[in-house]
Amino acid sequence: MRLRRRCSARRAKTVMEATSPVLAVFSGPIAWVQDRVGAVGDYFNVLEQNKALREENALLRQWEEEARALRTVVATFEALEGYKAPPGAKPINAFVIGESNDAFAHSMIVNAGARDGVRRGQAVVDDLGIVGRIADVSNNASRILLLNDVQSRIPVFVEGSYVEGLLVGRSTARPAISITMLADADKIEVGQRVVTSGAGGVLPRGLAVGVVSEIDDENAIVDLIADYARTRMVRIINYRFPTVNSEEIVVTPEAMPEPATGPQTQPQQMSPPAPSAEAEPAPTVSSIITMGEPAPPPEAAPDEGD
Amino acid sequence: MASRVDNLARMARAATPTALGLFGVLLLALPLRLAEGFAPTPILPLVVIYFWSIYGPSYLPPASVFSIGLLQDFLTGGPLGLWPAAYLALQYVAVSQRAYFYGREQRVVWLGFGVAAAGVSLMMWLVMSLMSGVLLPIWRLAAQMAATAAVYPILAIAFANLHRRVIVET
Repeated sequence: MRLRRRCSARRAKTVMEATSPVLAVFSGPIAWVQDRVGAVGDYFNVLEQNKALREENALLRQWEEEARALRTVVATFEALEGYKAPPGAKPINAFVIGESNDAFAHSMIVNAGARDGVRRGQAVVDDLGIVGRIADVSNNASRILLLNDVQSRIPVFVEGSYVEGLLVGRSTARPAISITMLADADKIEVGQRVVTSGAGGVLPRGLAVGVVSEIDDENAIVDLIADYARTRMVRIINYRFPTVNSEEIVVTPEAMPEPATGPQTQPQQMSPPAPSAEAEPAPTVSSIITMGEPAPPPEAAPDEGD
Repeated sequence: MASRVDNLARMARAATPTALGLFGVLLLALPLRLAEGFAPTPILPLVVIYFWSIYGPSYLPPASVFSIGLLQDFLTGGPLGLWPAAYLALQYVAVSQRAYFYGREQRVVWLGFGVAAAGVSLMMWLVMSLMSGVLLPIWRLAAQMAATAAVYPILAIAFANLHRRVIVET
């Protein structure tokens, strides 16, 4: 029994083996004919199918549009991710919904407001660098004062020449740096990068502003990195400068030096053993000033008190 | 019932110039970015105020003009009160010259608009320069005013039809 079954199985295999070329030869034309003619049933519902396909096509086209729009949004988000916010900053993403088409007032309106955590004075960046800062806030919208507005003043720092100054909007495409600090402006050269300095404790330090493009007698003209004709999505940096709460400073008796009659304006780092006249406000002020900034050159320090 | 509908329709007609002015301000606040931001956006409210100051001052009372200017100041973020002052000055001058312009050829009225726009530009420029402490570049404002003057004839035809056929229709 077992032997016969094995034989029959082998025979079936052989037959299959033998007929397969024949089948292959014949199946080709059949498939060809079927491809050309198609299922007969399809002839009867071709209209309905067409209609359904057209509807599906329209739907898919809508999806395609949506996907394309989303792709640009995602790309912008990815580009925005390139900016590493300082620790403690919570970025708020927003779209530009309005813009002042005014000759002198340059501002934009974005769709994020106090409800999203936006506050006055916060920095606004896009994927390239700083765009401006928040000037007005309502519940669901806020206005960005752009860097070229006549009212715009932001503290900046020229890389390579260690010059600090204020970037002053002049209502042209290119604002100018007015040098306010005692650094000598001669060191500024065309092509040097300009970043926010963080002075004043409002804007974070190190946001890219632009490049020095021209120097005249008193000002350095800056080519902004921001391209206001293309600004669509921005990120508001919810950044609060770390400050030292004077109530939290515990001054132990052995750490506190004897009060002496030294000048009040004497900076601490100048004279480590010398006693500071006022123990309480001094750490607060110095901690804010030195936050993330290079230490001021020693010869510049005495003038700071004035 | 019918009288109430009539009243509503009359009110809507009377408010049309004001609504157009406010709409013009909204248009100014949209991120239109004509030609990648190179082409200046025309100041539509300027045309609205000038046109109705000459052809129907009662349809655009100073309170409307003031609110149009105030909305513009709020949206553009300029110094508060500058645009209301500019618009009210324009209205005052246009109404005072109404007797001359009313019924004149459109070319003459257009020229009058050009002069008025130049006057408003000069005023804006002086005030803004005073406020910022430096002489600001005027070319951007001049370009915007030129764009406004350029579209004036088209808008004037549209407004004239609107005024004649809809607003004062009895």
